[in-house]
Amino acid sequence: MDQTDEIESLLSRTALGDRQAFSQLYDRTSGKLFGVAMRVLRDKSTAEDVLQESYIKIWRYAERFAAGGGVSPMGWMVTIARNTAIDRLRAGRDADDIDEMSDRLADRGPTPEQVAEAAGEAGRISTCLSQLDDPRDKAVRGAYLEGLSYAELAEKFSVPLNTVRTWLRRSLISLRECMDQ
Amino acid sequence: MSPTADPAKDDSLLAAEYVLRLLRPREERAFERRLLEDHRLAQQVAGWTARFSGMNAEIAEITPPRSAKKGLQTRLFGKVEEAVPLWRRLGLWQGLSFASVALAAFFAMQIVQMPGQTPPQAQDDRGALFLSEVAAEDQSLRVLAVYDSAAGRLQITRTAGAAAPGRVLELWAIAGENAPVSLGVLPETGKGGVILPEGLRAQVAGLTLAISDEPPGGSPTGAPTGAVLAVGQVTRL
Repeated sequence: MDQTDEIESLLSRTALGDRQAFSQLYDRTSGKLFGVAMRVLRDKSTAEDVLQESYIKIWRYAERFAAGGGVSPMGWMVTIARNTAIDRLRAGRDADDIDEMSDRLADRGPTPEQVAEAAGEAGRISTCLSQLDDPRDKAVRGAYLEGLSYAELAEKFSVPLNTVRTWLRRSLISLRECMDQ
Repeated sequence: MSPTADPAKDDSLLAAEYVLRLLRPREERAFERRLLEDHRLAQQVAGWTARFSGMNAEIAEITPPRSAKKGLQTRLFGKVEEAVPLWRRLGLWQGLSFASVALAAFFAMQIVQMPGQTPPQAQDDRGALFLSEVAAEDQSLRVLAVYDSAAGRLQITRTAGAAAPGRVLELWAIAGENAPVSLGVLPETGKGGVILPEGLRAQVAGLTLAISDEPPGGSPTGAPTGAVLAVGQVTRL
């Protein structure tokens, strides 16, 4: 877990306004965050802009992440990049919403026990996804990794919207049961 | 937290859909309103965020173009001379005129003496006095700071200017090459006092004071984030 510790330490120095630490944090993590943005947006220049916007939020909210604790530092940054990218994808939406969301994530993190528990669950998600019937695991992945909406998922799998919603909710119930075992 | 018969009423599922960004904008906003008050719901969101984060490993890293980092730093910190820390750039305008110091000294004596009408000769018993006029180049903002070493207290009086609407003025102490230490947000009334942190008291004579423009509540980062509006050096009286 050395890398997690290092990122966490860079993030907490960033919270103190340490630009050098912020620069190192960028160097260590921007590949992943750019990957996240590219996966959702599939366009280099938009993804680059979203990447910058994500790091601006990270710079501004680093303090709250450090104070709130909870989610892993990398998980927190990926969440910011993913949400910023999805917001850009659905451009009509108010960017402020997502600012509030990152506030809350930082402010009301789960307890350490819940994090440990969730971390175990995180490792299990691939196994649990593979137990779903074929296109259903793809629907969950499409929603998470590519930021697809119900309407886009319906189109992608050529099924009615209500069907895809039912699929996905059942998949989520299965996932939760599988992960809670 | 067992699954309920109706998925639409299952908060855990709703939280998962929220994290996946599957809710419609209106549903999303309604969910966020609930989230503000419902701690358990917030935990469900955090739980699903952690669970789904297992998929992050499936995302390939892609090195962003070099221009991205440069652009980011420009967007955040502005251009060129940003490599030089803020507190060193202050050196450019630390040259205070003798006249302004003398004038400030005059006011300082009045401020210190007024409350108890203490005669000047009594000052030795009270410890040394230091003062600083923290002023903008164009004098649009002037703050007089008087430090009483016996009390460890810095008395602040704003003599010109004010914070911009919706903004506050934050006072910083800079010792040598060290990073600025916040002394707090200046009161709107223009008068106030702060206790100087223990670590700064010994070096008070060489201290630089600066005032920056900050959002309400002061700098969120612990370092000045807005423009430095006024600077002054502390001198022994």
